[in-house]
This record gives sequence, structure tokens and C-alpha cells, in this order.
Amino acid sequence: MSSVPMEMKDSAVSSSKWLDAHYDPVANLYTFSSCITLADLHGDGENKLVVGDLGTGAGNMKLKVYRGTGLLSENTLLDLPTGLVSFLMDQHEPRTPAIAVASGPFIYIYKNLRPYFKFTLPNLEVNPLEQDVWNQARGDMIDPLTLKEMLEGIRDKADIPLSVRSLRFLMLEPQEMESYVNLHKQQPIRRQTVITCIGTLKKNMADDDAVSCLVIGTESQDIYILDPEAFTILSKMSLPSVPTLMDVTGQFDVEFRIIVACRNGNIYVLRRDSQKPKYCIELSSHPVGLVRMGKNVVVGCAEETMQSFTQKGKKLWTTYLPAPVTTMALLDLPTRGFQAILVALANCEVHVYRDKNIVSTIKTQDVVTSICFGRYGREDGTLIMTTKGGGLIVKILKRTAVFDDKDSISGPPIAQSIRLNVPKKTKLYVDQTMRERENAVAMHRAFQMDLSRLRLAAARAYVKALESSLTPMSTSLTEPLKMNAVVQGLGPSFKLTLNIQNTAACRPVMNLAISFLYDENLYSMRTAFFKIPLLVPGLNYPIDTFVECLSDKGISDIIKVFVLREGKSTPLLTAHINMPVSEGLALN
Amino acid sequence: MGLFDKLAGWLGLKKKEVNVLCLGLDNSGKTTIINQLKPSNAQAQDIVPTIGFSIEKFKTSSLSFTVFDMSGQGRYRNLWEHYYKEGQAIIFVIDSSDKLRMVVAKEELDTLLNHPDVKHRRIPILFFANKMDLRDALSSVKVSQLLCLENIKDKPWHICASNAVQGEGLQEGVDWLQDQIRTMRT
Repeated sequence: MSSVPMEMKDSAVSSSKWLDAHYDPVANLYTFSSCITLADLHGDGENKLVVGDLGTGAGNMKLKVYRGTGLLSENTLLDLPTGLVSFLMDQHEPRTPAIAVASGPFIYIYKNLRPYFKFTLPNLEVNPLEQDVWNQARGDMIDPLTLKEMLEGIRDKADIPLSVRSLRFLMLEPQEMESYVNLHKQQPIRRQTVITCIGTLKKNMADDDAVSCLVIGTESQDIYILDPEAFTILSKMSLPSVPTLMDVTGQFDVEFRIIVACRNGNIYVLRRDSQKPKYCIELSSHPVGLVRMGKNVVVGCAEETMQSFTQKGKKLWTTYLPAPVTTMALLDLPTRGFQAILVALANCEVHVYRDKNIVSTIKTQDVVTSICFGRYGREDGTLIMTTKGGGLIVKILKRTAVFDDKDSISGPPIAQSIRLNVPKKTKLYVDQTMRERENAVAMHRAFQMDLSRLRLAAARAYVKALESSLTPMSTSLTEPLKMNAVVQGLGPSFKLTLNIQNTAACRPVMNLAISFLYDENLYSMRTAFFKIPLLVPGLNYPIDTFVECLSDKGISDIIKVFVLREGKSTPLLTAHINMPVSEGLALN
Repeated sequence: MGLFDKLAGWLGLKKKEVNVLCLGLDNSGKTTIINQLKPSNAQAQDIVPTIGFSIEKFKTSSLSFTVFDMSGQGRYRNLWEHYYKEGQAIIFVIDSSDKLRMVVAKEELDTLLNHPDVKHRRIPILFFANKMDLRDALSSVKVSQLLCLENIKDKPWHICASNAVQGEGLQEGVDWLQDQIRTMRT
């Protein structure tokens, strides 16, 4: 008796596919999906959560490592992180991955959570005019105001933009200029770009624990691939715009593809041995999330849609979302052979999509800004999310959870996507089509002629019926009548019921009679003629009579019923009654 | 032969056989616990993750235990339910330092308790809140709260903190289990 509510509770719980493992609303984690990763940092089989925390305001940038529900370590970062990846840089044992944090023009490499190496992007070309002007300033040949004027002239005209130093100088108040020039004029001018996104690419093996190269996208619209050990630039590619999101597959030495979403709203696909993008996908709005699922690319767009493309740029589908996308990630469960897309929305929901069907919806307490799925600790299907308010949510996929395509809430019914088994065109069909195409005019004429004849025949029959009042409906204005007949019984005697109705609005009908016409060898009727009483409009008058079948040969005939008006020979109504075969006679 | 067995049983010469299932998540210390309970000359030195399951035997003062040491890895947990029928008692091991996966342990326990082969049987369940020596380990009370053990009304259960590597707390648990099995039989 008490087990009933218990079971109900159980079914409600089991309908959820996720276990709430941990929620800390004040974890003080402010980050994005590009700065969050899961890695086995100590080689002990337990994955840690590595987060590049952007902090609040200008400071507090930290590299944080979580183990289970607690913070394991914290390293201060010098600048805002733009991307964070873990990768294996060498073959040494134990195989512990390094962490690469991209911030500004640098990549900081950490091994064992200690700073290990700093990579700096190559300098960009400096405008020679700007160089000249600063050389003059160094020789005290021009005063700061002239310097300012000349730099402004260069800024407005030149193809190569000014360095950061000159740009900052142009922002200064006149009284600050002198000291600024004196402080900086001895140093050479440098122009640097910054990193916008970072990814990893396996060097020459496809294994999970293979050495990986770093792939970086920069503000100067370039993609660099770095050697994992020497940190030399292995390859450089240029893009038409600034990359913002990146996905890399393949191996550097064999064949690889880099899918980049750019700030101009296009997606470019780069391949090995091509300096320029191979394919371009033009989106209708800006991309905010990019996930590759097998050979297809799924993009979350700013206009609340999610679109899927093949790698060659062919559009597969579009889904409309209930709210703007904040971030996206891939849900990959290789042990179960399941892949899906996680989409975090601005309405505090995370949707799990398999192709364009929602298979699960997770409600969160706050807007999710970063999302990461994978092995955390010792649990394979862990979903890690951080929120706008700095919270950390950890959910674990149930072992028994089954994602069913059918339980999608919205979208077209499944029947719509089932292809009908249409048979191939037969030779007969093709010949017929050819004939119809060649003789269209003649066929149309023949059809029209036959149609006209049919109409003429129908009209003639109708007129004839009207003239001889052969119809069971009387159309004359003085006696509008309706009649139907019912035959009951198995035979040899049948009961014939005639239902007569006056359909006029208010006028009664008088002086009517009914007469029957039949084959007297076949049937006999007690009264073949009788008078009808006055018919009140609207009422139904049943009139019964009995018919005796005389034949035992199992044949039947038609009995004609005429409704007549006294003093007139043409009937008002005619009804033909198809008599049934007498079955009772055989019994006698 | 049956008569002889009975006679030996009355005289306390022959120990009763019981089948026990040892369940729990991976890395919770099931194999280490069973290994500690075995006589010292039969103990293994290295404990490696169990694949599938292994059958171990050990004896206490009055009972002879046959333990099905099940693998706790996610992909082998669906094997557990095939052995519920044979089990006359359950040992459920929890890693009390793994706060994150306490929900997973609870989920597996709930699945176990609602299984038709277990649900309506009054089988004793012994919980080991293992790894109590670790710095961030939860107390056995906290573990029983997180697993909602107070909701188990129709089965005798007992939780004790343990440190399987040193063997602390194991004897207490096994003594309780032995008492339970003896009262159940008589």
C-alpha cells in the first residue's frame, strides 16, 4: 500500500537521464567553453577539470584545476586567457599531458601544473614610415606635436596599421606626450597580433595518447600549426577573416582538416597542402558555436538557429531554437557509440540534440556559459557546465539512460521522414507517357467530344424522365411530393410499404390515387389501386400493401408504382421497386 | 551422507555455506576488502581492477563465505543483476572520499533495491564506507545520509567505516553479517 507513492517517485526520477553530482553556485568560475578541458594531468587514471578562469574585471585571471568536487590547485595568469587545451607534447613516460593557455600573443605551456615554456607569436611587419618617424623622434629632430601629426597622417593613409605604441601615443593628452616619447623612443617598434582560438592536431598517429601539434588562429587572419616539442611553426595558412571558433581533425603528417568559423560570418574548411581555404560556407548570421559530428559540421547561429552542413558546404538541416545559443559542445560516448550535440541556451536550458531531434533537456539554475562533456574523475559520461554567475554544475549521465530518437518533443512526425517505396517506372508507363505527350491535342478533342455526348445523353434522359414523371420526386408546383418504397419479408408474400410525404410549405394535397403495374403471372396483389387521404404538409404517410409471389422458379421482377391525380392520365410520380427473389417458396 | 552432514552441523563441525555478493563502484575497494578477509597466506599482493567478476572464499568462526566479487566498472555493472538470485547477503562498498560519484553509488543502490530478485527478500546488506583514512573522506553517518539508507525499511542493514588497506573496520562488519545470517537461518 505504501509502495505506490514510492514507485511513482521512482518513475519520476528514472525519467531523468542525468544525476546531479555537484552544484556550487558560488564556485567563482567565469569562463567560456574554449577555456575548459578535462585531462588526466597526473597520469593516475583520474581526469581533472582544467579551467582558464577569466576572473572578474581586470584581474584575478587564474588557471584552476578541480579534482572531484574540490579545487586542487590555482596558478595566476598574467593576461586574459582566450583558449586552453591539453595535449601530449612528447613520448616520455609517464604520459602526462601539458596544458597550453593562449593569452594575448603568447602561449603558456604548463607541465605538472608548473610553467614550462612560453611561445610568442612572430612579429608582424612594421610600417616603414612609422619607423622613420620614430627614428626622427629618437634623434630629437621632431617634437611630440609634430610626431602626433605625422602619425595621424600615416594612420589615415597607410596599408599597414600602426603599432600599439603609436596608437596609444595618439590617445594621450599633450602634456603627457613628452614623457611617453622619452620613455619609449629608445626601444624598437614592434607590432604584434593576438591569438583568438586554439586547438590541437595529432602529429602522425591517430591514437588517443598520440603527440599533438597546437593549431592557433590569430587576429592577423592567420592559422599557425606548431611543432609540439620545438614549438617551431610547421605550417602557416591565411584566411579572409579573423577566426573565432575552430575544429581540427586528422593528422598533420597524413591529412587534416581545420574548420574555422570567422568573424565575417563564414565558415572555412582548410586542408593539408592548401594555403587558402578549400571550401566556404556562408551563414545567414554570425556563428556562436561550432561542433563537428562525424563528417558534418553543426553551427549555432546568432539568429536562434542551429544549422548542419557537410564538410563540403552542403546544407543538411536547420533547427529553430527557443532562445539564443550561449555555447555548444559535443556529447561523445564512444563506449556506447553515441554522439549528440549539447546546446546551452540563454533561457537557462541545455538541449541535447541528435541530428535535429531533441533527445534530452536539462534545466539549469543559471545561464550556462561554458560546457564540457567527457571523462571526469573515473566517470565517463560527465557533463560539466559553468554559469554566468560563476557557478559550477556537474551532472553524470546514468548508466541506464537510453536516448531515444522518438521522444523528441518538437519537430515533424517521424512518418514524414520515411521514404516511400516507389517502384521504378515501367516500360508501359514510359510508352504511355510518350504517346500522351505526342497526341495530346487529338486525345483532348476525343475526350471533349465524348464528354459532350455524355452530357447530351444525360440531358435527354432527364427530360424524358421529367416528361413522364418517372422520378420518385414530384417537381410540379401544385403537388410537390416525395415517395420511397420498402419491401419486407422473405417471400412468397412480401410487405410493401410506401412512404409518401407532402413537401410543400403549407398546402395540403387531395384527390390522389396509387396504382401498381406488375406482371400478373409473377405477382398478385390484394389491391392494385387505392386512394390516398389528404396529405398534410411535412407528415410522413406509410401505406402498406401485400404482394404474393406466384412463381417458384426463383425469379424476380420490377413492380412500378404510380401516384396519380384524379382526372389526369400522366402520373405525378413513378417508382420502380426491384423485388427480391422469393426464398420462402422453396420451403413449401 | 545427508545424515552425516546434519550430524556434523549439529555438532558444529561443519560450517554453513553462504553466498555473498560484493558490489560497489569501480575503485571503491571491493577486491581489497575481500583480499583482507582471506587468510593471510592466501592474500594477493597486488590488487588490479577486476574484470567481470571473481569468486573468493573465506571462513569466519561459524560460517563459510563464498563471495562473488563483482567488477564495479560501468560496462560490467549490468552483470550484477544476474547474481542477485544466488546471493544470501550483500556487501556494498562505497568510496567515501569520492563525493562526486556518491550519486552514482546511490543510483546503483536504488537499482539494486528495486530489482525484483532483491525487492521482496529480507537479505542483509552490509555497507562499507571505505577509505576512511583519506583526508577528504566523509564519515559513515554522512555517507548513509547521502545514500538515503534510512529509507531501507524492509531489510537489515549496517554501515561501518573501513580502511581496507590496513584492514580496519572490516571485522566489525563481517561479525554483524555473520550474526544476521545466523538469525535469518534459525
